[in-house]
Amino acid sequence: MNLDLAVPRRQHPLGVIILATKFSWHVAKAGWPALLGLSFGNIKWYHLLVVPAVFLVVGGFAFVYYLRFRFYVEADALIVERGIFQRERLQIPFERIQAVQLFQGPIQQLFGLTGLRVDTAGSSGNEVELVAVKLMEAEGLQQFLRSKMDGPREGESAQDVAGSSSPDTALPEADPLVSLGWADLLKVGFSQNHIRSAFIGLAVVMSLFQGVEEQVSAWIAGLPVMALAFAGLAATALILPSLVLMMFIGVATSVVSVVLKYWKLHSTLGEDSLSLQMGLLRRNVFEVPFQKIHLTEWKSNWLRRALGYETLRIQQAQAEGGRGGVRIFIPAMQAHHRSAMEERLYPDITAGEVVFDVVPARRLRWILLAFAASPALVVLSSPQGVNVLMGLLWLGLVFWTTGRRYSSLHMKVYRNAVVLERGWFWRTRTLIKLSQLQGVEWKRHALLERRRIGHIVFHTAAGAERFGYMDKGKALALRNFALNQVHSAHGRGAD
Amino acid sequence: MEIPTMVNPEINLSDLPDVEAVTFLPVSEKYRTMRLALWGSVQVLLLAALLSPYLLYRFGGEEDLAAFSQWWWPVAAQAVLAILWGLEEWKGFERRGYAVRDRDITYRTGWLFRSTTTVPFGMIQHSELSQGPISRMMGLNHLKIFTAGGSGNLRIAGLAEEDAQTLRSVIEGRTRR
Repeated sequence: MNLDLAVPRRQHPLGVIILATKFSWHVAKAGWPALLGLSFGNIKWYHLLVVPAVFLVVGGFAFVYYLRFRFYVEADALIVERGIFQRERLQIPFERIQAVQLFQGPIQQLFGLTGLRVDTAGSSGNEVELVAVKLMEAEGLQQFLRSKMDGPREGESAQDVAGSSSPDTALPEADPLVSLGWADLLKVGFSQNHIRSAFIGLAVVMSLFQGVEEQVSAWIAGLPVMALAFAGLAATALILPSLVLMMFIGVATSVVSVVLKYWKLHSTLGEDSLSLQMGLLRRNVFEVPFQKIHLTEWKSNWLRRALGYETLRIQQAQAEGGRGGVRIFIPAMQAHHRSAMEERLYPDITAGEVVFDVVPARRLRWILLAFAASPALVVLSSPQGVNVLMGLLWLGLVFWTTGRRYSSLHMKVYRNAVVLERGWFWRTRTLIKLSQLQGVEWKRHALLERRRIGHIVFHTAAGAERFGYMDKGKALALRNFALNQVHSAHGRGAD
Repeated sequence: MEIPTMVNPEINLSDLPDVEAVTFLPVSEKYRTMRLALWGSVQVLLLAALLSPYLLYRFGGEEDLAAFSQWWWPVAAQAVLAILWGLEEWKGFERRGYAVRDRDITYRTGWLFRSTTTVPFGMIQHSELSQGPISRMMGLNHLKIFTAGGSGNLRIAGLAEEDAQTLRSVIEGRTRR
């Protein structure tokens, strides 16, 4: 297969249909209030002609858009020309590309085509999407962009670019990371955070009961007074089943959404990148170079931990103002997956030399305790039998949890990595690279300054990470160390 | 970019260049005037807003506003906040300053809420000078420094014209792009 990427090309002709669907969806989203308004009026048959008219216009629009959409590759950038009334020529330098993602929605799957999305960290936050490309072509382009993303490597001149993408040289050895089967998907689904799903469940139950209420009140009006008491009892008895129903809907919602999102998840760890594919209705194929990962975070709740799972969040550089930026979640990572991943991404952690080992100042424990205990003080302010009991119980609970929370806070700084561990019930482990730091901040308020305590903030391209209430002397030494590591990785003198 | 382990062997933590050891350059004294003028005008407006219901009741004969006859509570609360904010502006101005080293720039602000941020030149994407109408009148410039992701952005406010130009050219000379 020899793919000449330097020649400007269009997408696959069937892309017109995909574009038309996409545009119709946008029109429908923007125009639904108007449709709703119209449907209240008098509808004559000829009003319905609007539908084919709109469809024709959208179809024509999609066709012209397709005709005028071209993409090709220049010496150091991907070029996309697009637009109908206002032509634009997007120039995306290879080194600015954060991730190249292939995706297949239902229509693409039907036609055997694939979409390709290029994310950049540009301040405009605008990414490029090709919606219909042949699979071979898309894979070729992905491979090619992938090989150019890190900038020119040693022994490779910037001259031999466009064209000749030979897949056999671009494929490094890859170790399998995590793959999910049915059982894993179910486990992940059941251990989701059901609170959000339960709200959806609640909405469904409420909408079911709306109609029932009116019928019930009409029914009650026709009943003798004695029976009313029983009806009241029956209504109370309904609460339990509806709670069960709500829980069921909540769990079912999470399971279904997990299955849709993570269906047949399969990931591999390459020499210098992570590749990942998942999804049922919309199947995504990611290829993320390690260099472009700015933050990784391992999250787990107690249920996940009982199953031996953690969820991994990978975050790339964000656009200005914290918008955008590719975020990828991988559920059901086990301990050996984590160590394999960290070994590749943060080799200095495996080497094990801890430069700073930091726990927060003891004062934080009292601050946490004071905040958590305050409800008990309100209850204890009116001392009666029950209140005293409740207050003391709360104090005991809070004393125990605060101790746990406090001792869970831990920061370890290695040669090139910062590991922040936080949380006891919901546990997070956040990793950032010192060589990727965008800035280091030392902050505290006047009262903390007197105690020589403050917070250190690491500004990364993927957002800020803070470690609070640490000793001043240690923090300043850590700041000097962090800056030294950034400079020695990027300094003008170093290369 | 990985750190090559061979080039970077032993690190003696006490020998590393210390950020605190540098001297911080203050921003223009005119900026203090501008901040204090802002503080004063906000206080006057707030006071007017807090007192107007009472004045209407007392002198305008609006009996509905009788509840506002205890005007001293809101005014006392405002006074406390005004003093805190005034202290922050007054004492904080002496701490406000920037320091340039060979490879990074440090900006320090605040007295009640203190912060010292260091941004390596290598990470700066671009910089921008901006002026509002009032700062233009006073000949002040605000220098904004942008980093990837926007989390580490710095805004060094209240620079005199020539300082701003110098600082900007220093930054542009040392940024790699």
